[in-house]
Amino acid sequence: MKLENIQFELNVFAAEMAKLKNEKHFDFLVTIVGEDFGEEGLGCIYILENTKTHERMSVKAVNADRNEPYIPTVMHLWKSAEILEREVYDFFGIKFLGHKDMRRIYLRSDFEGYPFRKDYDMSADNNRYVLTDDPEPDYTFEYNLDKDGRLVATKRPLFGDEDYVINIGPQHPATHGVLRLQTVLDGETIKKIYPHCGYIHRGIEKMCESYTYPQTLALTDRMDYLSAMMNRHALCSVIEEAMGVEITDRIKYIRTIMDELQRLDSHLLFYGCCAQDLGALTAFIYGMRDREQVLNVMEETTGGRLIQNYYRIGGCQADIDPNFVQNVKKLCAYMKPMFKEYRDIFTGNVILQNRFKNVGRLSMEDAISYGCTGGTGRAAGWHNDVRKNHPYDMYGKVDFDEITYQNGDCFDRYMVRMDEMEQSIRIIEQLIDNIPAGDFYIKQKPIIRVPEGQWYTSCEGSRGEIGVYLDSKGDKSPYRLKFRPMGLPLVSALDDLLRGEKIADLIAVGATLDYVIPDIDR
Amino acid sequence: MENNNSYFGGAVKGVKSLLTGLGVTMKEYFIPKVTEQYPENRKTTLHVSERHRGRLVMPHDAEGNHKCIACTLCEKACPNGTIKITAEMRETEDGKKKKFLTDYQYDLGDCMFCQLCVNVCPQDAIKFTNDFENSTFERGSLVLHLDKELQYESSLPNIIDGGAPIEIGKWNTKK
Amino acid sequence: MFDFSIVTTWFDSLLRETLGLGDFLSILIECVLVGVFILAAYAMLAIVLIFMERKVCAYFQCRLGPMRVGPWGVFQVFADVLKMLQKEIFFVDKADKLLYLVAPFLVLIASVGTFSFMPWNKGAGILDFNVGIFLLTAISSIGVVGVFLAGWGSNNKYSVVSAMRGAVQMISYEMSLCLCLITAVVLTGTMQISGIVEAQSGPFGWLVFQGHIPAIIAFIVFLVAGNAEANRGPFDLPEAESELTAGYHTEYSGMGFGFFYLAEYLNMFVIAGVATTVFLGGWMPIHIGVAGVDSFMDCIPGIVWFLGKAFLLVWVLLWIRWSFPRLRIDQILKLEWKYLMPLSLINLVLMTVIVALGWYIK
Repeated sequence: MKLENIQFELNVFAAEMAKLKNEKHFDFLVTIVGEDFGEEGLGCIYILENTKTHERMSVKAVNADRNEPYIPTVMHLWKSAEILEREVYDFFGIKFLGHKDMRRIYLRSDFEGYPFRKDYDMSADNNRYVLTDDPEPDYTFEYNLDKDGRLVATKRPLFGDEDYVINIGPQHPATHGVLRLQTVLDGETIKKIYPHCGYIHRGIEKMCESYTYPQTLALTDRMDYLSAMMNRHALCSVIEEAMGVEITDRIKYIRTIMDELQRLDSHLLFYGCCAQDLGALTAFIYGMRDREQVLNVMEETTGGRLIQNYYRIGGCQADIDPNFVQNVKKLCAYMKPMFKEYRDIFTGNVILQNRFKNVGRLSMEDAISYGCTGGTGRAAGWHNDVRKNHPYDMYGKVDFDEITYQNGDCFDRYMVRMDEMEQSIRIIEQLIDNIPAGDFYIKQKPIIRVPEGQWYTSCEGSRGEIGVYLDSKGDKSPYRLKFRPMGLPLVSALDDLLRGEKIADLIAVGATLDYVIPDIDR
Repeated sequence: MENNNSYFGGAVKGVKSLLTGLGVTMKEYFIPKVTEQYPENRKTTLHVSERHRGRLVMPHDAEGNHKCIACTLCEKACPNGTIKITAEMRETEDGKKKKFLTDYQYDLGDCMFCQLCVNVCPQDAIKFTNDFENSTFERGSLVLHLDKELQYESSLPNIIDGGAPIEIGKWNTKK
Repeated sequence: MFDFSIVTTWFDSLLRETLGLGDFLSILIECVLVGVFILAAYAMLAIVLIFMERKVCAYFQCRLGPMRVGPWGVFQVFADVLKMLQKEIFFVDKADKLLYLVAPFLVLIASVGTFSFMPWNKGAGILDFNVGIFLLTAISSIGVVGVFLAGWGSNNKYSVVSAMRGAVQMISYEMSLCLCLITAVVLTGTMQISGIVEAQSGPFGWLVFQGHIPAIIAFIVFLVAGNAEANRGPFDLPEAESELTAGYHTEYSGMGFGFFYLAEYLNMFVIAGVATTVFLGGWMPIHIGVAGVDSFMDCIPGIVWFLGKAFLLVWVLLWIRWSFPRLRIDQILKLEWKYLMPLSLINLVLMTVIVALGWYIK
């Protein structure tokens, strides 16, 4: 969608945002995009959704002062803002007034400067490896304006003197990558969790600003590698929309089927990892075994198993493999009995039920407030499926159920994914026989330029809404490209989910939230 | 435990679910296994998708000519700077000046297999093959000179078009 | 039935009479020989068990398991042991060095100690006291101390959590373990290992047949509790590799880790062995009361019976371990104190009633 930003002045910003949320029911903060608007100053674009009508809008806030920029916080309105504002602070140095925990999140705490500002010195001399340890302060700051309108900082400690702090991660089998959860324990009970991200931060968004549009595509598969197709789908869609490229039905069919295969792949891995985190290694191997078959089907067409590299602006990399239709049908036939096996060995198991039921409950209000899209939100009863709410490609025309549960506990999050696999098979089966003839790729100009403007498009990734914000100034590179990570809201919700639960529950909750670290860190 | 019913009922149900699980593993214990034994199977049942991106090659015809015109589009398209093209101006027989490729350097170690170079090539001079056995002991030997590989041969020639057939739902388990 | 005591008596008389050695020397030689035998059997069984675990687990998981080292991978464990022997032994800064070093030995002592009670054959029980079963449970509880000290001495937060879990779990499950053994003792009327085995002779003399319902319940509870006692999945909480990396042995390398590894497998065997001895007749062949069949059964040596039954139980334990997810610490304690404990107590009463009224199969 092309963004028509409403701009609020900073002195009325907080009040206007509260009005939007409370009166117009824009209760889902999709993402906050920090941006360097050049002459205009530094600022943010807030993308909001009304969860009743699924109407979306965007709000812009700019502070012209480049030395001490600030914007009032909205973290008391939307809980997701807490971590999103920290991200903006980290990259742009915008201080959010009244934010309780204004620390860096991705970069080291002793990092100098704010790299996403356009005037950041990108020379190699200024960006050397640091070989010393990160000093990592155990306090944080809250910024406010005093009566003269100057920024003042209030220092707050992060830990009490008596706290038993244990680091889960960054190297830990259950964090599924390099996420670090600084956990305050009382015996086996969790008192507080501070997530630390950025151990695999590669600056993909910054890199994209110097890449041409086709080159930006190369990085999407490396964010959430389990939604490689959907990430790329979102980026392709936003560029195609901005350029006004109409894709053929054949491309739409292929993309829909591939997205669903990818979802199947991701959810099988989710199932496997759940089992492994709970110590059921056998169920894990069964999941991985069947995932192999899904990957075989995809590899025959895309040439990749993890890095699929299949979509490109204007279509697909290659036409589907001659055996594709037949292979997919065999896959569907193969998978169906396996779902029963998963139920027998893992889902129905009394140990699993005891470990998952009523553990890590997330209410629907919190899910919306944190912006926990995907299976996590749907387990709490929030109808947030982008495929239903903002249909794209063939999703408006196929028949499938949006799986929702009510409790929002680990078991429901698990069941949402298990049921979605069956829905994926259902979607694939409806489409596979009817792939229309046509072009699989619409030839584009050698140098792709996107007209001026701002766009935001999203797809339903394997674990939530993957959105791409594109700001183009008419060049061959994007001015600002921002991905809405699916996992970041999940990580920010961890603290709320786990307070008062056991360490073992942290593993269960982490497994069922199903975050992928490269997607969070980008 | 709220009442005795749920205490005993829960126990019975729990034991039943455990037995179901045991039944599944017991069944799997006796059915054929799925392990594929690479490298024992590399000349027999190994299947590698034809489209798999193992490394970049520049096909040469029988006379040893390639199609590259040293336009450097691939070099510019590469996000990692994997490709370095060296060319010189030579005079052709009819007196025109033309660019000739003298070296096409491709660093496999830097490549991220995004296929942008292949997409952008106007002459279809380069392509990816599924030759995946590229590991070496030093990074230096990953720097390849594609125009010099007159008779490029994969380490597994029978794999180039996919190798042994696969069937979805089955495993190529034989050695 | 071959009686191994013939060999031991002959050897004893060889030392004392033929060679004319005194009490001290002959007993010394015998003790050393027996010690060597125990350790050799211990090491050999460990190798067999580790290989078995790998293959059986692989087969449950649709895999082949180790295939490269030797035909069908049989030398894999030797390769592992070699690797482990070469590894550097290191200390964590500020670890309690003494406790850190002592802990693996404590675990090993408990495991070797209980291992020595196994009745291998008729007349081949090594430790055979009149309070055998009591002593066995007493020695096995030294293992808890080892686990606890290892976790505490490592100066690692994961290890401390794991040590707490290990201690609370192992101490709890010892309750039902002992109650099940006492249930058996009520029926056999002796605590001596050889006496218990002898009590199971005769047609359908194995305790699970003799004591029918209460004995079968005790047998199953014993296996579950034993599994928990040996820290095997689904009760492998102290290790819980997805939560606590490797728990109490996170900071051990080389043979320090090797000892824990050995002890874990041997503890599993000891549990299976004790269950075999107490409930499945030890080395006693199955007798059905038909003379022909019984004498044929007697032809099979006792050690084959014992190992066969023990390994079958080990296989069942592996089957359970590789089928189920791990419990949570409060659930594991709930299982013990709310289900297994009451069950074994009621079972003990039931068994006493049955024995008092003579309702067991004679």
